[in-house]
Amino acid sequence: MAAIAIPHPPVAPRRGLSTWQTWGIILLAPYVLVFLVFVLYPVTYGLWLARHPESYHTLFEDPVFFTSVVNTIFFLLVAVNVKFLLALYLSGFFVHDRRWIRWLSVIFIIPWAAPAIPTIFSIRFMLNPEWGVINSLLFRWFQIDGPNWLTNPQLAMAMAMLVHIWKALPFWTLILMAGRLAIPKELYEAASVDGATGWQKFKYVTWPSMRTLYITSTLLSLIWTLGDFNSVYLLTGGQPADKTHVLATLGIRYIRLDQLDHAMATIVVALPFVLPLVYFMMKRLSGDEQKTS
Amino acid sequence: MTNRRLLSEAKLWLVAIPVLLWTLIPIYHIFLFSISTKDSAFSGRLWPDHPTLRNFGTVFRQEHFYLHHFWSQIWNSLWIAVATGAITLAVATGAAFAISRLKVKGGRTVMNAALFTYFIPAAFLAVPMYKAMGTYGLLNNRWSLVLAMVTLASPYAIWVLKQASDKLPWELDEAARIDGATPMQLFRLVYLPLMVPSLVAIFTYALLLAWNEYLYAFLLLSHENTIPLAVGLGHFLASDDSPWEILMATALIYGLPPVAIYYAFRGYMVGGLTSGAVKS
Amino acid sequence: MASVSFSRIEKSFGATKVLHGISLDIADGEFMVLVGPSGCGKSTLLRMLAGLEDIGSGEIAIDGRVVNEVDSKDRDIAMVFQSYALYPHLTVADNMGFSLRLRSERKDLIQSRVANAAKILNLGSYLHRYPRELSGGQRQRVAMGRAIVRDPKVFLFDEPLSNLDAKLRVAMRAEIKALHQRLKTTTVYVTHDQVEAMTMADRIAVMNEGRIEQLGEPLELYDRPANLFVAQFIGSPAMNVLEGVYRNNFIEALGARWPVSGSRAADGQRVKYGIRPEHIDLAGAGIAAEVVVVEPMGAETELLVKVADQTLTLLTHGRSSIGPGERAILAPRLEHVHLFDAATGARL
Repeated sequence: MAAIAIPHPPVAPRRGLSTWQTWGIILLAPYVLVFLVFVLYPVTYGLWLARHPESYHTLFEDPVFFTSVVNTIFFLLVAVNVKFLLALYLSGFFVHDRRWIRWLSVIFIIPWAAPAIPTIFSIRFMLNPEWGVINSLLFRWFQIDGPNWLTNPQLAMAMAMLVHIWKALPFWTLILMAGRLAIPKELYEAASVDGATGWQKFKYVTWPSMRTLYITSTLLSLIWTLGDFNSVYLLTGGQPADKTHVLATLGIRYIRLDQLDHAMATIVVALPFVLPLVYFMMKRLSGDEQKTS
Repeated sequence: MTNRRLLSEAKLWLVAIPVLLWTLIPIYHIFLFSISTKDSAFSGRLWPDHPTLRNFGTVFRQEHFYLHHFWSQIWNSLWIAVATGAITLAVATGAAFAISRLKVKGGRTVMNAALFTYFIPAAFLAVPMYKAMGTYGLLNNRWSLVLAMVTLASPYAIWVLKQASDKLPWELDEAARIDGATPMQLFRLVYLPLMVPSLVAIFTYALLLAWNEYLYAFLLLSHENTIPLAVGLGHFLASDDSPWEILMATALIYGLPPVAIYYAFRGYMVGGLTSGAVKS
Repeated sequence: MASVSFSRIEKSFGATKVLHGISLDIADGEFMVLVGPSGCGKSTLLRMLAGLEDIGSGEIAIDGRVVNEVDSKDRDIAMVFQSYALYPHLTVADNMGFSLRLRSERKDLIQSRVANAAKILNLGSYLHRYPRELSGGQRQRVAMGRAIVRDPKVFLFDEPLSNLDAKLRVAMRAEIKALHQRLKTTTVYVTHDQVEAMTMADRIAVMNEGRIEQLGEPLELYDRPANLFVAQFIGSPAMNVLEGVYRNNFIEALGARWPVSGSRAADGQRVKYGIRPEHIDLAGAGIAAEVVVVEPMGAETELLVKVADQTLTLLTHGRSSIGPGERAILAPRLEHVHLFDAATGARL
């Protein structure tokens, strides 16, 4: 066996220490500047804006806020889980080694790669109760008067979730595919020899290897779905009667009403949920850092 | 034997067809509308009676109220996207090199700060950003969107570059240093050439992020001349009887470049993405 | 070409001390090998000479000039890494000429130096290839070529042959040795393989746990190891070591009497008795043993025999007629017996 190469931890260069460290600082400075000016200052200022307790009182008394919170919770619970179950299933589909499946996966990415406005507007028009394609076809083929997809608040929320899933599914499917591809083929072959069924292979080979990735991805997706502005705003604009707002769009609504303190308060209210998740994600990534370095 | 294969192939097709339909229907719908006349668009047909390219003509000739500034808007989109890509590339490359190869003091803290920015939902950051840009006097200036997008794109960019950079063997730096390289020589002659695929991926990523952005664009820019095409498209929704078929034609024009660019560079991007935010 | 000296070098990584006051002088043009097990500190010492590690305390001098505070690039050294560390995006020629290019040397100068090094190493036909197109041995030669082009005062080698297969290693050993004889550059060579050390070195420094166990010429280390560690490290197959008690004319060990010459210890003293496999003969009279395994290697035969409950190794020239399970009589050669103090391991 070849000698174990003791990996030399990279050394911060010595004499001429000043040159190397100086360049390090010079090259790091632009990003630090960006961070200070465009993240730290705005966030601090924003939190300062959100310091008045009255903002929260009026916020909690606003019925729109309550609806938004309920909507957001539903959105997160349903959309994220449905999306991930689909991603889990489809990731298994897309790893099959066929040329046509590879082509399909290339097409499958389009919803995610394409910008939101064209696609979400397209869906919006498809769902128009009067002249949208869906209702027209429903009438023409089945003589049914299609429902008010976007003017019934519950239906509209469901449609927004669908839009979100449509757009986000490809990305997470890709991630889970990578997770599946990392599982050595021999494990499946051994399971086959041992007589395992498809479901058993999933339960005893696939899932244990994928579990961590699945959970971490779900948590990250929770954070990002919480911030999904486009799916709701471009589909319904929060209407009808501000009944389809989620926290992400609510903040902007308050900006539009020139109530900046309420906008900030909305965000602050979501923080106790967001920050622990963010902290957890950061720890996971730094943890992986330590392991691989 | 062949029967079993046929059955398993059939099962695959059973999944493939709904997936294909699900993916392409909204896309097809954009296309459908853009080649339809006003009447056939609203008739709910699957294929227009008289397919036409007239809508595109209307767009290119700026012949509608909402289209008067089409060309300057598309130019803004392009300008903002390229500027974001270039500046993100510059900022992130330097930062990743400093953190990964030069092991600069405080590198881990900066990396953590960047990660924090990456995980926080952009929609949440939008409100304070809007206020801050106001304070800086940058509202309605294209630079505000560029800098906001750079702020949002850099963290992921630095992360991806750092991951790629960590894979380069340390002996290369040591060999270069013994060969007599200064930090800049190491950066220029050894580091950058070896990072080209990741640099392409990052540039593309930032470019697309800026081109596709809507929320920040409409918060920070409002003047007819500064708004990018995304915001211009949003204006169509202001009235109820806007010409939707023209909107869809414009939207198609707007949506084509990012998809094309993504497909051109997807080889570079997929690697970066799957090793990016989430590790198994 | 230059001399190198280490004076009382100490180094700690965090709370762990890895070098305990190493002092070593290397003469101009000498091929010095630092050898020892993993973690003994040899690589650390080399890297400190290269300027890649901080010096804890002590001084390193090249050609009389203290280089503690001098940057790697100003020390006029060249290093060959275990993993070759070739720039993947540069051709062989560009790899070799890289250091000159950094100094903005003239193109014709770079070309001639590269061509010269390529000739010495037989790389002429590979100059336009990329590292990924080369085999391990070829890459190692390119790495050496890069070092030669530098024309430095000192060559540093950090386990350069560890990644090569056995046959290639033997061939490369000879090449490196021939290179040294031709260029006569001072060379510091680090390896864990004592065969490399024995075949290539002018002098060897055997290191263990941050200390130099013995410094000397290869045969000196072989014939007169200063302690148990060196005795068992140098030589393959390794020396047989038995625990015993010194009596005036013999050693009591494993229930038998083992011959020893001279009076080197006190009666009743606990000692370690060392005898190399190649120094035990099969004879008519001696110590009884049972043959366990016979390993015929063609030119030699390795025998594993059992005395009491310890297995010993014998190396005999030619074939052996003896088979497993049979009785053998061992006769250690008196002049090659080594005695070490059981407690300290020092040579007696």
